[in-house]
Amino acid sequence: MSQKEEVKVDEELVREIASLARLDLTDEETRTFVPQFQDILKYFSILNELDTENIPPAYLSSANKSVTRADKVEESVPTQEFLANAPQAKDGYVVIPRVLIEQ
Amino acid sequence: MEPYELSVQQTHELLVNREISAEELMRAYLERIQRLDPKVKSYVTVTEENAIEQARDADQRIKMGEGLTPLTGIPYAAKDSLSTRGIPTTCSSKILENYKPFYDCTAIRKLKSTGAVLLGKNNMDEFGMGSSTENSGFFTTRNPWNFDHVPGGSSGGSAAAVAAGLAPFTLGEDTGGSVRHPASFCGVTGLKTTYGRVSRYGLLPLVSSFDTIGPMARSAYDVALVLEAIAGHDPKDSTSRIESIQPYSEILRKTENLRGLRIGIPKEYFVEGLDAEMEAALRAAIRQIESLGARAVEVSLPHTQYAIPVYYLILFAEASSNLAKYDGVRFGLSERNVDSLLDVYLKTREMGFGAETKRRIMLGTFALSAGYYDAYYLKAQKVRTLIRRDFEKAFETCDALITPVAPTTAFRIGEKISNPLDMYLADVFVVAVNLAGIPALSVPCGISNGLPIGMQIMGPHLSEEMLLRIGYTYQSQTDWHTKHPPCWND
Repeated sequence: MSQKEEVKVDEELVREIASLARLDLTDEETRTFVPQFQDILKYFSILNELDTENIPPAYLSSANKSVTRADKVEESVPTQEFLANAPQAKDGYVVIPRVLIEQ
Repeated sequence: MEPYELSVQQTHELLVNREISAEELMRAYLERIQRLDPKVKSYVTVTEENAIEQARDADQRIKMGEGLTPLTGIPYAAKDSLSTRGIPTTCSSKILENYKPFYDCTAIRKLKSTGAVLLGKNNMDEFGMGSSTENSGFFTTRNPWNFDHVPGGSSGGSAAAVAAGLAPFTLGEDTGGSVRHPASFCGVTGLKTTYGRVSRYGLLPLVSSFDTIGPMARSAYDVALVLEAIAGHDPKDSTSRIESIQPYSEILRKTENLRGLRIGIPKEYFVEGLDAEMEAALRAAIRQIESLGARAVEVSLPHTQYAIPVYYLILFAEASSNLAKYDGVRFGLSERNVDSLLDVYLKTREMGFGAETKRRIMLGTFALSAGYYDAYYLKAQKVRTLIRRDFEKAFETCDALITPVAPTTAFRIGEKISNPLDMYLADVFVVAVNLAGIPALSVPCGISNGLPIGMQIMGPHLSEEMLLRIGYTYQSQTDWHTKHPPCWND
């Protein structure tokens, strides 16, 4: 997409994004989001006023450099403690609905 | 005087002189929370058992005279996005309603080691998304100055708790104003720390490249005492700063004036839309600071008007990635009355997230999706560079900057909730600081129609010591920070 074009937000686009975002939106939520997204993206298009051709992106928020540490074995969290928060667990594993179905 | 009326420093003196025990102090606070918090609604969890245990431990330390620090026996509360071992940590989201971390975040662990006493966890906008706490998945916190108004956000519960005497200090978290904004709305002192000055280990992330933990208290001096305890390098956070921390409170005790300091007044922050009474209060505060020896100069931050779109685009993108882990598999809410794994994700997230969180996840997913990445996310990251350069340039001609925190005082509950863009614009003066990663202090400097006004003092990376010096000296000459809301005597 070119930076000057304006995005047209409609229900189809909202549904498509919802599917990518793994959200099962209701019809009412979908309808509410259409004008809100249009407004927000329209306001944000003021960034197009700026020429940023030769400006580097600012990914790091400070002068920090990458840090590494020695690859040493340290004490870890016992599995049981970790699994205490799992919605469903068995034999030290989290349980999810069956993904592979026998033919 | 009742215990809740005392500053951290005064309480410490009572404790070491054995005029009150840590347990008595803790019980006085719990009793006040029980009585007053049903009206203010600043806590989502009160940790009575934990508080009793920690207070008894503090009393033991005081008795033996061992391991005493300025925070030993001092009660406090923390925003509910800071992990607390065995204590619910919800980010005020239904998706984490029953989540109990199995470890403490570094800031909480450090406070534990000083002997401070955790009273509970504070309400917030869900995952930090909002400027009013109206987006909490549980309830809206009230502004202690006027219960019909919002406390600001997202650390609204933490600010309201300090303002209402429900904790002498709290830990907030600032991603795009979330410490400073509620601090100004509630009339307390709040510090947004330099990115990396306080470890983020164990902080539930909203925007990993913006998030910072910072103290909120009733004075710059108390903020300094807390900062000393929580700041510093942490091997568990690769973005934490390695520079050693300074003896902040000791420096303050030796500070008498602000001679030689150059204060920049960015003209882009004093524009139409800024409430007239707020501008008058700020100008008076600047004159006061000048009378202490500082010199005010006008400066320009030319890209200020682009800060909101840049901030929100990066937030949407990082938040949508950070919140992908809430899928009902390993922890948190899980809808299992479904046929497939995909439906677990879809139904859990639909049920567990509030409207604003969904809106931001959606906008972030859109901004990062194929075909739009360059136009939105990359563009925002480039303009972020321009905004950062604005600050670098300004700090060539001045040492600190003074601006308003918000364009108005605390707005009414319900006033902005139906218009998300309007709510985003309330953050216009606070978000640029997070884009640049610099620290900023919010200090009360006036009252308008019974609601507090805040002044924002910004400085270069790792200038916390100077910001606190300005705040402390200003507070030694003024009494705005000692004013209390009507519910104070309840």
